[in-house]
Amino acid sequence: MADTPKVLEPELQNLQDSSAFANEVSEGRLVTEQMLLNVGPQHPATHGVFRLLATIDGERIVRAEPVVGYMHRGYEKLVEQRDYRQITNLISRMDWLSGINNELPLALALEELMEIEVPERAQYLRVALAEMNRILNHLMFFQSFAAELGAITPTFYAFREREDIQYAMETVTGGRMHFGFFRPGGLKEDVPKGFVDMALASVRKVIKRLPDYEDLLTGNEIFKQRTINIGTLDREVAYSYGVSGPIGRGSSIDMDVRRDEPYLVYDQFDFEVCTGSHGDCFDRFWVLLHEIIESAKIVEQALAGLPPGPIMGKVPRVVEAPKGEVYIRTENPLGELGFYLVSDGGRRPYRIKIRTPSYSNVSALPFVLENTLVADMIAILGSFFFVLGDVDR
Amino acid sequence: MALDVDQRLEKARRPGFGVGLLKGMAVLLKHLFKRNDVIQYPEVKQDLSPRTRGVIALKEENCTVCMLCARECPDWCIYIDSHKETLPPKREGGRPRKRNVLDRFAIDYALCMYCGICVEVCPYDALFWSREFEYAEYDIRQLTHEKEKLSDWMSTVLPPIELEDGADIPGLPTKAISAASASPTVEATAASPANVTSSAAEARPEQAQTAPREASAATTSARPAETAPDAPTGPAPETAKEASGLAEEVKEQQMDAAAEPAAEPEVKRDTQGTVQAEGSQAEVEAKAESETPSAPESTAVTQTPPAMAPVPDQAPAATPTPTRPVPKLEDLEAPEDAYGRVLDEQTKAGSSPQVAEARAKVARVKAEREVTRAKAAASQDATPAPEPSGAPEATEPQPEQGPVAPTEEERGAGSAGPQEQTGAGSAGPQEQTGAGSAGPQEQKGTKGPND
Amino acid sequence: MIEISLTAWQILVVKLLIILTVVPVGALVGGYVLHKEMAHMQHRLGPMYAGGWHGWAQTLADGIKFAYKEDIIPASADKRVFSLAPAVIFVPVLLLYLVIPIDRNLIVEDLDVGLFFLLAIGSVGSIGVLMAGWSSANKYALIGALRSAGQLIAYELPIVLSAAAVAMLAGTLSLVGIVEAQDWPFILWPPGLGLALFLLFLVGAMAEMSLPPFDMPVAESELITGPFTEYTGMRFIFGFFFAETAHMIVFAAIGTTLFLGGYKPIVPWGPLDVIPGVLWFFVKTSFMVFLLLWIRFSFPRLREDQLQKFAWKFLIPLSLVLILVTGAWILYGP
Repeated sequence: MADTPKVLEPELQNLQDSSAFANEVSEGRLVTEQMLLNVGPQHPATHGVFRLLATIDGERIVRAEPVVGYMHRGYEKLVEQRDYRQITNLISRMDWLSGINNELPLALALEELMEIEVPERAQYLRVALAEMNRILNHLMFFQSFAAELGAITPTFYAFREREDIQYAMETVTGGRMHFGFFRPGGLKEDVPKGFVDMALASVRKVIKRLPDYEDLLTGNEIFKQRTINIGTLDREVAYSYGVSGPIGRGSSIDMDVRRDEPYLVYDQFDFEVCTGSHGDCFDRFWVLLHEIIESAKIVEQALAGLPPGPIMGKVPRVVEAPKGEVYIRTENPLGELGFYLVSDGGRRPYRIKIRTPSYSNVSALPFVLENTLVADMIAILGSFFFVLGDVDR
Repeated sequence: MALDVDQRLEKARRPGFGVGLLKGMAVLLKHLFKRNDVIQYPEVKQDLSPRTRGVIALKEENCTVCMLCARECPDWCIYIDSHKETLPPKREGGRPRKRNVLDRFAIDYALCMYCGICVEVCPYDALFWSREFEYAEYDIRQLTHEKEKLSDWMSTVLPPIELEDGADIPGLPTKAISAASASPTVEATAASPANVTSSAAEARPEQAQTAPREASAATTSARPAETAPDAPTGPAPETAKEASGLAEEVKEQQMDAAAEPAAEPEVKRDTQGTVQAEGSQAEVEAKAESETPSAPESTAVTQTPPAMAPVPDQAPAATPTPTRPVPKLEDLEAPEDAYGRVLDEQTKAGSSPQVAEARAKVARVKAEREVTRAKAAASQDATPAPEPSGAPEATEPQPEQGPVAPTEEERGAGSAGPQEQTGAGSAGPQEQTGAGSAGPQEQKGTKGPND
Repeated sequence: MIEISLTAWQILVVKLLIILTVVPVGALVGGYVLHKEMAHMQHRLGPMYAGGWHGWAQTLADGIKFAYKEDIIPASADKRVFSLAPAVIFVPVLLLYLVIPIDRNLIVEDLDVGLFFLLAIGSVGSIGVLMAGWSSANKYALIGALRSAGQLIAYELPIVLSAAAVAMLAGTLSLVGIVEAQDWPFILWPPGLGLALFLLFLVGAMAEMSLPPFDMPVAESELITGPFTEYTGMRFIFGFFFAETAHMIVFAAIGTTLFLGGYKPIVPWGPLDVIPGVLWFFVKTSFMVFLLLWIRFSFPRLREDQLQKFAWKFLIPLSLVLILVTGAWILYGP
């Protein structure tokens, strides 16, 4: 390879050394070459503009390197020029599948800094809306994982269930994906008449249809062959990279911010935290499905015990955070979402550092993808529930 | 607990022997024979909720060109131009008044991100949400709607919707949530004094936040709370477990019919344990189907709107059906007595004098209205005056008429322009009555304690 | 009655013309059935607009659209091979229709070695797929073509062996002969054995046509369209879409002939003889198409090595065992 540019030579050296199979060039017999396959950024299976530089030897991946940043929109700089209500409306576009969960840490952070007490009714409604959004998010990943494996039918079932919940959220907030509903101190406005029944009915419908999904996917032998013992994420690796959410719990990291450091009124609800013990694709998927059941439980409890009262605490007319800094962690459907808010007293934040779950989750990919097949790579990418807006902000 | 999940997981991981494949196929076969609930747009359109963020409409008379919306917009997509005019003084010897006159108000919908901050922040209720979304254009410059087009959108704006039980409506005591309570009237229900004071205390920062808005908000949200929609008579139960009586079934049906066009009867069976719902569901469907064929221009709906949009089904020109039983004159409380009673109650409950007086005034005005209604009914007048609402009445969007020369009166009324702040307003589909169009300059109807 | 006497050649030409018209129309109808069945199983409606009534002209509209597309050949592609590949895939599928008996006397040519002809011609298409993938000068297409080659070769054997077992049971390779030998269709008698052979044939057929769950070569979410990624317009329609649908229909017809009794009534019950054979054939083939599509929509796809493992370690030994059992049945059974 005389015409290889100098800068790439260490890379190529790496390629040949780290081949898992005996690359029999040295023996002089079979000459095989490793191929550099560029998966993405335009690819149907990569959840967006995600690029994976895969070095493959036949069908086996020798090395995989994720390249992110194709969707970087400069959120952390954007929000320095906007006041808190404008940020609330913009931030749900970060992880667009769980829109309202993105607004939550911001509202909580401001409440902590400004020492506002949020009325009970607002807390309960916040929990209900956040959990409904979690169900939406998980249904979306359920269908995308199935579609990447080749099962085209669950997509339509999942979207049908999502419709009802989205309609319920539309009656409250006016939007189906981007809500802009949480304010520091409570909610923008109260819920319309009939919302409780509508929300409960839609959530119950999802639960009623879950056995269908179990039959279609988790009970399917082909699905099990494609996902069991595929893409095992080692627990230690997951810990060191800060993998959280269904992916972390699938690797038996028993961590859930809602239970460990309850915010809002989560300590008043009774729900389980599902964990998987093997860390493979099947376990992650299992955790995803069962989190839907747990979220539905929380929604039922929240709406059943909805107290009367105002939905906004005592908030000054102009929201100005006093000088200070605060870090708030919440359980985004994809993992742990953290907002580090630094304020120098004013209508705009001085700095918000956003710790997104997908960024950390994606960093664990190279370890999972080593020594797997190309077809498994698709399954693994599908099971690593990440949203590019969350990875890149 | 965690052990329990683990065992289920282990069981799921065990190899089946082809049985799972057959089960999967059975699911598909089951769905092959199920009823399809696809809404075939554009012949049939989904009935969107009233709060759906479609397009923003402008009520020009209310705009005082304070520029708050343009300032707060995160995308800077609102373009406002204005100039100052000097008007002669109102009375002899007064000083000349200055007015802001709106020259241009445009919203660039190509930039707009439909967040609603402008609607939320407008202190004079000049911007409203509408649920229209079908305004795509071939030329992106047409997406900048000028104030004429924005005013046209006003005819599609719906009145604000009734809030769920337990919501805190400023100016009123918090309604307790109970399945047993009947019609949501505005009498002082069994609200504990603590509740009253706390809601009063909460009401005050809200008032501070949105001072001129609270007036119309109080009137508008109080009124839909009074006028309950026809069929459902009970408030929504907290959980469907508490469902009781036919009212709940009817309500459930209406909501299910509205929200889930093909809600399976099994859902209702689970929640209510009756099979009656199925038959009624078929009725609702039959009604919905008969409404389905419609002209392509008008907005067709598959089902009657849910209980949350108290929009009259008929054209507004027709007689509005009375939504409350008309009281008899003898049974009614005299307005002054109502004032005194509420004042006593509130003072005993510990409200501040201003709040007590405000609530007493509200009760007095309400009693006056009841008296007027009773008198009108007694005098064989079959058409009680429609209650004025803060927001404009919703009308069916009229098909485009094309250019029509304005008639004499329209031209005459148009030239008088925004300077006429009477209840009559201008001609056309934007007929506004009552407190809404008066805006902040003329204080009519019930207002807050700032009277 | 008008006596028309045609020479054998003229009759042949007429039959071929019939085939050439019926097959594309059949492919169109099959495509429509595919869309509608998939839609209703997925709880939605499918095509509703094209043509007015429930979108009956959807596939026709698609075909016309494809005909208008620009014919692009990648610059670094092997032009001759690239242009030839769709023909190599499509023509064998047409040839398969020559020996399918629709009724006792309605067949283009009743070859004495009809079954052998079917199996031989049916495997020519694999070369076409390889040609398409290799000449496209596209890494993804190459991967798809290699996967496909391995898969098609592996799954030839279950089809051949189960067809051979059927030939043993019927005692002839002629397709009309096989149908005539089925008083009770082979799927029902011999009991169990016939069903096992049928399932073997079904699985092999699905893999031959690269239908899910065996559609690794064409794995949409990974390789876009596998070997056919670079094809557009008419080449794509003939090489991929038409071939797939027509192939599915012809395999359904073969399955009907071999296992379901062809144009004979499903059970030898007197009153059923009233229904003409053509109708029986049509109903049975439709059922087979429905079954193939139903399986297609239900399952995720098998990974390539799992696919190969399944074929070589399970299906082929099983089919060899079944041949032994068939032989035993013929010798010692009723």
